[in-house]
Amino acid sequence: MNQGCLDYQMTRRRMLGLSSATLLGMPIAQMMARAGETQQAKAENVILFWNGGGMSHIDTWDPKPGRPVAGEFDPINTSADGIQISSIFPKLAKQMHHATLIRSIAGTNGAHGRASYQLQTSYNQSGNLVHPGIGSIVTHEKERLGDLPAFITISGNARRAGYLGQRCEAYYVGRPGEKDPYLAFPAGITQLRGNKRLDILAKMNVRNARNLSADQAKAVNTATEEAVNLMRSPALKAFELNGEDPKTVARYGDTEFGRGALLARRLVETGVRFVQVNRGGFDTHNNNFPAMQNHGDVMDPALASLVEDLAASGQLEKTMVIVLSEFGRTPRINNNAGRDHHARCFSCFMAGGGIKGGQVIGKSDEDAMLPAERPVNPNDLHASICHALGIDHSREVETPLGRPMRLISEGAKPVLELFG
Amino acid sequence: MKPVTIFTSCFLLISTVSVLADPTKVDALLAKKNAQAEKPIAVAKGIDDLTFLRRASVDVIGRIPTAAEVAEFQKWPAAERRSKLVEKLLADPRYADRWTVFFSDILRIRSNATGGNAFLAYLHQELKQNRAWDKMSREMLSANGSSGKVPAVGLILGEEVDAMAMAAATSQMFLGVRMQCAQCHNHPFDVWKQKQFYELATYFGKTRRIENQFSRRVYTTEGSETTVLWPPERKKPPVRNPVAPKFPFELKEFTSVPQYVKRFEAKRAEEALAANGANEGKSLSALLDDVDPNAAFDKERGFGKSVALEAKAATQALDIEGDLYRQSLQRTELAEKVTSPYNRYFARNLVNRMWAELIGRGFYEPVDDFQDIVTHREALDHLSDEFVAGGYDIKGLIRLIMLTEAYSRGHLDPEIPLAERNVAEENFAAATSRRMVSEVLYDSIVVAGHLTDFKWPAGANVRTFTERIRVVDGVVEGGPAAAGPGNNPNMAPNMMARPMGGSGYDLEGQIALNFDELLKSELEKDLASMKMMSDAELQRQQQMAAMSQQNTTGPRRKYKYVEVERKVDDNPRFSSTMRMATPAPPAHFLRVFGQPARDSLANFREHNPSMRQQLMMLNGKATHEAARVGPMEPMHTLLGGDKQDITAAIELAYMEILTRKPDAEEMKFAREIVGTGKPALDGMADLRWALLNSNEFRYIP
Repeated sequence: MNQGCLDYQMTRRRMLGLSSATLLGMPIAQMMARAGETQQAKAENVILFWNGGGMSHIDTWDPKPGRPVAGEFDPINTSADGIQISSIFPKLAKQMHHATLIRSIAGTNGAHGRASYQLQTSYNQSGNLVHPGIGSIVTHEKERLGDLPAFITISGNARRAGYLGQRCEAYYVGRPGEKDPYLAFPAGITQLRGNKRLDILAKMNVRNARNLSADQAKAVNTATEEAVNLMRSPALKAFELNGEDPKTVARYGDTEFGRGALLARRLVETGVRFVQVNRGGFDTHNNNFPAMQNHGDVMDPALASLVEDLAASGQLEKTMVIVLSEFGRTPRINNNAGRDHHARCFSCFMAGGGIKGGQVIGKSDEDAMLPAERPVNPNDLHASICHALGIDHSREVETPLGRPMRLISEGAKPVLELFG
Repeated sequence: MKPVTIFTSCFLLISTVSVLADPTKVDALLAKKNAQAEKPIAVAKGIDDLTFLRRASVDVIGRIPTAAEVAEFQKWPAAERRSKLVEKLLADPRYADRWTVFFSDILRIRSNATGGNAFLAYLHQELKQNRAWDKMSREMLSANGSSGKVPAVGLILGEEVDAMAMAAATSQMFLGVRMQCAQCHNHPFDVWKQKQFYELATYFGKTRRIENQFSRRVYTTEGSETTVLWPPERKKPPVRNPVAPKFPFELKEFTSVPQYVKRFEAKRAEEALAANGANEGKSLSALLDDVDPNAAFDKERGFGKSVALEAKAATQALDIEGDLYRQSLQRTELAEKVTSPYNRYFARNLVNRMWAELIGRGFYEPVDDFQDIVTHREALDHLSDEFVAGGYDIKGLIRLIMLTEAYSRGHLDPEIPLAERNVAEENFAAATSRRMVSEVLYDSIVVAGHLTDFKWPAGANVRTFTERIRVVDGVVEGGPAAAGPGNNPNMAPNMMARPMGGSGYDLEGQIALNFDELLKSELEKDLASMKMMSDAELQRQQQMAAMSQQNTTGPRRKYKYVEVERKVDDNPRFSSTMRMATPAPPAHFLRVFGQPARDSLANFREHNPSMRQQLMMLNGKATHEAARVGPMEPMHTLLGGDKQDITAAIELAYMEILTRKPDAEEMKFAREIVGTGKPALDGMADLRWALLNSNEFRYIP
């Protein structure tokens, strides 16, 4: 299929508009989604926790007790037989029977910019082309469900959509729980008055349509309808954390990250395809250990509660949760009690969406310096996400310049062991 | 300067060769081509004066006209209104703002790239002074140094000082040709071969990016070897050799010097002479830049040994910072080939881009992909010749295009079949619909809503809102020391959390840049001063930096969130979006309305409507505040008190927002909306809100 993204997307959206505007009731859309999917695809949504700065793998998923590189954290047992993680994750340890750890990611880029580019897009950064992030790829390949945007990024920006076009860009939530002012009439404008204004506008636009073509006028109208539908949609409640039981908010840890995780759960439950929750502060060149303890304090309740809640509601079967960073950190502890960039071997956490729980894939050597078994390339992770969602990762799309590009870079192979 | 008087008369003779560009010639050439069509092409009527005022203001100064400007315009004698307006607009300070946006798209200027802001400020200054496009281009293509001293180096810094990227950029930005595919392979459809791409790239092959270890200041200079080797690496050849530079574009051959080049040369000679008096105090390099390199153009010898070049090289050797910022002879040579009047690609590229910007479509599309398929070749050639003859005068080109009939065409009746309308638009016989670019749209809302200055008295809009903030909640007992963020941006938690900080409407907020300061302050901090610093001083600086990092550690703290109430007097005043860091952050109004990220070539503006755009227009702060009637704007008087005049108020609203009068039916409808209250402020706000959100407002008439 060599269609440009925009046209392709427009056609899809138009067909969606024709089929139905109600939540989840889209027969044509579902038929389209099924076409070309593999039988085993179970995942419907993805939550990606992006930890910017390069998260230490030894101090999180791949402890090395008894070695000089071990650092200050002891490993602890988890709910998964024989799997230990760092003591900074006591609550998450009890959910590890849902999760798979990959301990042998063989990265190639040791600089933040290039590495986060590669780990989010599967491509190496090049001068003249912007590759789309995995969230935009999923948005491009899977139809939107319900009224909410298909791709939402929280507490930071996701990668751009690049050649997939504006429609595949992420919808941005600056702070979880904070209302997006653009989803309601401005302060001081009542519902009644706002609706009156919309009526006036509609009448005005019928008359004066000379300076734009009929096509454009129709496209503006469609966009307006979509906007008003979203403003009036009950699905918007997903954004409001005020409605949540304060105990739940506390359980996730009342931090921006915790609220982000909670919001992510509510969003996937409402049909959002891809949620990215961003957190920085992992570039621990100095004083790695207190910093990682702080990160643990924040991440542990949030991730544990998220996995637990998704599993309890059954949503975890359809939702893949990934905790990823651009690289790991050196086994060697430097003179400032920090760890430096280490790309050649690091780990990630994955759960849900068909992933078999309670296992470790790959193995690092005794100091977590290099993969010892089953090296996994960064783009294999993206291929695995595609696989779980039933997306053919080798499918080609055309850039606006007409150059065919694979969704995921060449040579990627899904890590099939993930799915048992 | 005594010799001047002697030469004046003879140059006056030459200058009679240069006649002012004639817009009717362009229309005649368009009509000539259109007359050859098998089926007659529908021609739209010309627009009326007010429509012209709106269209021209939006195009040249990037916002709609104010009511005062409308009144002034209408006072001018009808016969000379339009040309007078064009002159006035071209002299407006906002001209440089608006066209900085246009050229920033082409040159993909990013504030956050190395040297990006200085490059932006440089471009703005050059446009303000209406510097010739060939001179600017030569400067950008050949500059070496730090962005503080030589801001034009921002172009090559923005391309990461990468020879391949610069080859692609040179051909695409300056010549309207996409060669980048040839970087990796011989293009299947194009004439460009991979080897040619390498030969172009190697002009940039010796340029190096240097980063000072302590000051982190970046500059470029010339190395001795090219990094561009043949054959390409991916073919895993046993030996790779340096590539010799070769300009892949053919310079047009003429048996005698064509008229437009003669006029160009005369023009430049005239300028040089006029500048002679003002030359004292000018730097040598600027003087040399004024020397027309093409005067020394020699078909036999080519450019390599041209007089101007040799002179330039000799003076550059004298440059006191010669070691630091070695100039690139190769790139100077390339720049001269690129900007030669004999290089048809160079003038044609900007002419076509400018035409597309002002008329709605180019003679060839996409504008950076010339494939020798041109809708109106004679008209394009003529415009290009005129552009060269006028000395690559950007304002002159804008003037020429705007005074054509093609620019003043109206839209065809919607009743005419779509196919017929398309043909007319493709042949410039009817206006193509164009949406205002995001910066223009935003600034137009601001000016229509009187938001350039306060329209409320102080204290009239005090609002209370609650904000969640993170505060220290004691120290963790016995906990290890916490790592401080230090100077490392990657260490700050949620480093990306608030790209625009503060309240929810920040997606329309602005970070104003002071272009003049940008050029000045960079200069002061320049590398030259770093060089003066002794090694001991550098060492001390390094120690201090290390110490400050340790100082940020302390006992590990606990944090909690609290909600605090804040009071603000929300009396909005907006400055121009054309004076902010660019491109805006991804979710910003400007980006949502199509401002490109400029992170790759061919990153054009998108003009498709989207849901997010509508949300930002329907519910955004700018439209809301623009619609509200403030006590300090003229509208207020018409709506309240004894002098209430609803008809006049509605007429003013239409004039301020749509630059026209309402017709009878519209007046009737508007009266219903505004109502008869005293003062009818809410009703007027509703009307203005709808007008600002209407399609007619957003699309250029």
